[in-house]
Amino acid sequence: MSVQIRTLEEHLHASPQADSELTTQEYLVNMGPQHPIAHGSLRVVLRLDGENVKFVIPVPGYVHRGVEKMCEHLTYRQIIPYTDRLDYLSAIMNNWAVAKTVEKALGIETNARIETIRTIMSELQRLQSHALWWGVTGMDLGAYTAFLYGFREREIIGEIFEETIGARLTMNYIQPGGLMYDIQPDFAAKVKKLIPYLHGCIAQYETLLSGNTIFQERLRNIGVMDGAEALALGCTGPILRASGVPLDLRATEAYGVYDQVNFNVVVGAVGDSWDRYYVRLHEMRESLRIIEQLIDNVPEGDYATLRYNEELILPEGLHYGQTETARGAFGVFIDSDGKRPHPRRLHFRSPSFNNMWVVTRIAAGWRIADFIAIQSSLDLVIPDIDR
Amino acid sequence: MGMIQATQIVNEERPIAGKTVSVSVVQRLRPPTRFQVALLGMQGLLQGMWLTLTYFWSPVEVVTREYPENRDSLKITERFRGNLRFKFPNEVAHQTHSALLEQIAQETQTHPEVAENWIRDEDDTRWYHNCTGCSKCEEACPNASIRILTRHGEILDDREIDRFVWRLDSCMFCNACVLACPWDAIEMTGGFENAVFDRRLLVYSLNRLAAPRINLIQDEQDPAVRARMIDWRSRYGGPIPLGGTGLPNLPAIGAPKVQECPVSHAGSTAVAP
Repeated sequence: MSVQIRTLEEHLHASPQADSELTTQEYLVNMGPQHPIAHGSLRVVLRLDGENVKFVIPVPGYVHRGVEKMCEHLTYRQIIPYTDRLDYLSAIMNNWAVAKTVEKALGIETNARIETIRTIMSELQRLQSHALWWGVTGMDLGAYTAFLYGFREREIIGEIFEETIGARLTMNYIQPGGLMYDIQPDFAAKVKKLIPYLHGCIAQYETLLSGNTIFQERLRNIGVMDGAEALALGCTGPILRASGVPLDLRATEAYGVYDQVNFNVVVGAVGDSWDRYYVRLHEMRESLRIIEQLIDNVPEGDYATLRYNEELILPEGLHYGQTETARGAFGVFIDSDGKRPHPRRLHFRSPSFNNMWVVTRIAAGWRIADFIAIQSSLDLVIPDIDR
Repeated sequence: MGMIQATQIVNEERPIAGKTVSVSVVQRLRPPTRFQVALLGMQGLLQGMWLTLTYFWSPVEVVTREYPENRDSLKITERFRGNLRFKFPNEVAHQTHSALLEQIAQETQTHPEVAENWIRDEDDTRWYHNCTGCSKCEEACPNASIRILTRHGEILDDREIDRFVWRLDSCMFCNACVLACPWDAIEMTGGFENAVFDRRLLVYSLNRLAAPRINLIQDEQDPAVRARMIDWRSRYGGPIPLGGTGLPNLPAIGAPKVQECPVSHAGSTAVAP
């Protein structure tokens, strides 16, 4: 499958081809970077014929902070708080990716307690992320109530994070060789109280949005993408799974203690926006299943196997590690020279960057309102794209 | 429930990446007919409205917090990573301390944070600290929000902390400095109300004394020598840019404001030292 690449400039100079009987003119319209759909600041240039979208080209870069360059001057422990600021809704999984890579390269041993707590925290973070995404999707499609409901769950999970970690958004919790803090003594009880409550919340989500015919009509069969195309675009996460490819790093790579728990990889049947919506909603139930199996018997042990001030110098060569965040595979690619405690070069393989380009393939031919539905179903986090 | 219900999730096994994973497939029903759309549409709409309506008379889980009003009952968790602060082992109970600050703030008509500058208690031991000026926190800080300025203490003939400069404006509250400190000298408090009108007020000197570590002071028996070990340090000031010092066209914090209009006297810009 070949992908045609045309720059924005070529699109500007392309002659407008009106395919209706009326004399119409095509317009290039900027959606963003301040439009509410831009979720931050993603600029999307739409080629419009009336209300029909002819072509979409995303223009990222408005939140570029040069994190990868900054990381060349930081130790591996100092890189971790910067990963909180990429995909800020999956901060714990991002931290885990760096910690995993450093541990694999140095052969640092962790114990079962560390891995179990990491897994529980990651799943809580995934629930939090999907709850927020659900609310924001509702708001994008005109249901403001959903936004409030989604944020309600997010804050309740955030309070559990705040008790143990000390932060609600920028966690910086998972360190190479352990965790920053041990969990609080009442952590397990609080999470167990949360599980039935969240099941009730997901039932409310079904009632509020999933059961709404208007909402279904706006998502069903909009932006269909098959598995081959999704793989060719490098999609990961719920977007790829909605297209029918059951690729989930939690199941295939089995890091943490994911190999000791039973959970299903949720896949879609068609690959349209509705599947992308419902796959995430059902993933929340699977996340609750994982937490249920782990929360009762967190093994005993230390919460860190390394001193904080220990200097970590990775052996010379290339190191890669990835975790499954709420949006797909987040990878950390480290090139170390074996002499300094900093990476020589570092690259973050962020899931949203690859997922963003889906709109160029599947948004053409739809109306503007459908384009918004498609972009909402992609669940983009713009700081993760721009880095 | 309209088009999809949870019962329509079908579990099966599928191969991927050389493994077999258990998969939940989101099934797709036949699209509803126009009649079904009308019927189910009304049903789904009314269900959603009913759910919203129930919250009017049964606010089961009201999660809204009336923030400024609930400040007295606000519970900040113990580990919350808020403002950085020196640990003062001899400090009086925090309640007394803040009450004293409030009182001074009222008398001097300043902010309680600034009022700390006026505290010159007879009981100087309150501000003895654990910091030795070893700069481990400065090395651990990912974005250079901490600067340690040391001086040579004449009594003990050793290096000691002069100013512990913490820049709140670039801090990202990652807790690295607290974990890196070998002396347990700093802590993250639950403070989060940091709004000020001048960004120069966001550069703090955390230590109240330029002095050696607490045990070294307390080992000294002679009170006169002990007093010579200690120099007071204000909350602002020092040789850090914007750390309370003046800049061209900006008077130093606390200095009297320049009266002339800078536009009409463009040549004579007042520079506060």
